[in-house]
Amino acid sequence: MNFFYIIKEGILGFKRARLAVTISVISIALSLVLVGIFAIVAQNMAGVFQKFYRQVQLEVFIDPALAISQVQKLQQKIQKHYLVDSVIFVSPEQALSEFEKDFGADLVAVLDENPLPPSIRVILKSGESRITVIQDFVGEIKTFDGVDDVVFQTEIIKLINEYSLIGIIVSISIGLTIFIIATLLIFNTIRLTIYARRTLIEIMKLVGATNFFIKGPFIMEGIFQGLFGSLIAFGLLWISNYFIKGIFATILAVPYQYYVILISIGVVLGFLGSYFSVNKYLKY
Amino acid sequence: MIQFFNASVETDNRFLLQDINLKITKGEFVYLIGKTGSGKTTLLRLIYMDLLPKKGNVIVDRFSSSSIRRKQIPLLRRKVGVVFQDFKLLRDRNVFDNVAFALRVVGSPRRKIKSRVLSVLTQVGLHHRRYQMPDKLSGGEQQRIAIARALANEPFILLADEPSGNLDPEASNGILDLLEDINRKGTAILMATHNYNLIQKYPHRTIMLEDGKLNENAKLN
Repeated sequence: MNFFYIIKEGILGFKRARLAVTISVISIALSLVLVGIFAIVAQNMAGVFQKFYRQVQLEVFIDPALAISQVQKLQQKIQKHYLVDSVIFVSPEQALSEFEKDFGADLVAVLDENPLPPSIRVILKSGESRITVIQDFVGEIKTFDGVDDVVFQTEIIKLINEYSLIGIIVSISIGLTIFIIATLLIFNTIRLTIYARRTLIEIMKLVGATNFFIKGPFIMEGIFQGLFGSLIAFGLLWISNYFIKGIFATILAVPYQYYVILISIGVVLGFLGSYFSVNKYLKY
Repeated sequence: MIQFFNASVETDNRFLLQDINLKITKGEFVYLIGKTGSGKTTLLRLIYMDLLPKKGNVIVDRFSSSSIRRKQIPLLRRKVGVVFQDFKLLRDRNVFDNVAFALRVVGSPRRKIKSRVLSVLTQVGLHHRRYQMPDKLSGGEQQRIAIARALANEPFILLADEPSGNLDPEASNGILDLLEDINRKGTAILMATHNYNLIQKYPHRTIMLEDGKLNENAKLN
């Protein structure tokens, strides 16, 4: 088996069936662009949910009589928990200024004093969405000395959980549909390029070429088609992502792994598409 | 060299070939005649094992249809040349490459390919046309290229399925002259044809298929 023969014939296949192969490469590119666009949208959607989760905070109200050293000890104790990302001490003055900023009311003018207690704001690690787990943690904090009360916005988490579940189900359904369509499209276009050369396969069989020798160039060509198609898709996605990021700065950057996966999908689908298509003609 | 033992092929409960017993010896020239649909092409396909008999056995050289493994079929086909009415040439490459293709795909060394291609092209009288594309050639010339390609791997038998079916009488005679020449050099020929004039002009053993059954004593009407 001459490996160079297979590579050479695989490349020559491009030249010999120029139109069919060009159409096939473009179809692969467009199919993978669809897959890529979906992956980027899904990634950004996941990013948005992560942002929401990061906003989930616990407000731990503490005894105003606690000394600074005691507050620091309490902070460290809370910080050690695996659910906690960070803790911030909010003094009564800071709380008052935040309140006035949010609600525009001058509390001191009405009550003659600042009624807000000091607190420790606990930011949870992103992704923690199990309400029961958070509730257990809240219960645990409540037992700590110097803690008066803990406020936790259960409803917000419930809402985010609900929407993210819908998001996941919709994403998986759309993603799978797009992937199946892309796969069928790629398989079909490759099959057509091979069908157009069935006489070639027939002659190869007649003159005694082994199945491996017949398949080799077609599979190589399929791999090349997948590779070129996915490289074009990569180029298109990269350029459009670059420009969109210029307009919407909040769009997440696409990690390079996405492109590696995209190109791998192209190559694998090119391989499988040509393998199964050419096999159809090789019963004997 | 080729032997059929009660070979039968059936499809949809209908026999395409029934209990065929046939022997073709080394260097023989045999005509295979019969109406359209009588099973001529099916019989040829059994020889290059594009089809295996449902019952019975076909022996080609050292290969038997009852025991041949899939991997061995390409080896058998290198010993059997096949040409068709529609030539089955590759339109995207020239005469030389069409013939060389048969050698390349079986992994022949490059030097051997060149000398062998030039040799068979000389044998079929198209050495001077080796850089032409098939579509620029006449039907008779195209069939000669197909024959050259079939001969490239030095088969012991050449199966010709209506090789003159698309040709005018003059070109048909030219093809028969060529097949006679090839046969004289030792290659057996089994030619399926409707052209009884050719059989009368170039007489050889003639066998006939009628409704899937073989008649060894065919008479031309």
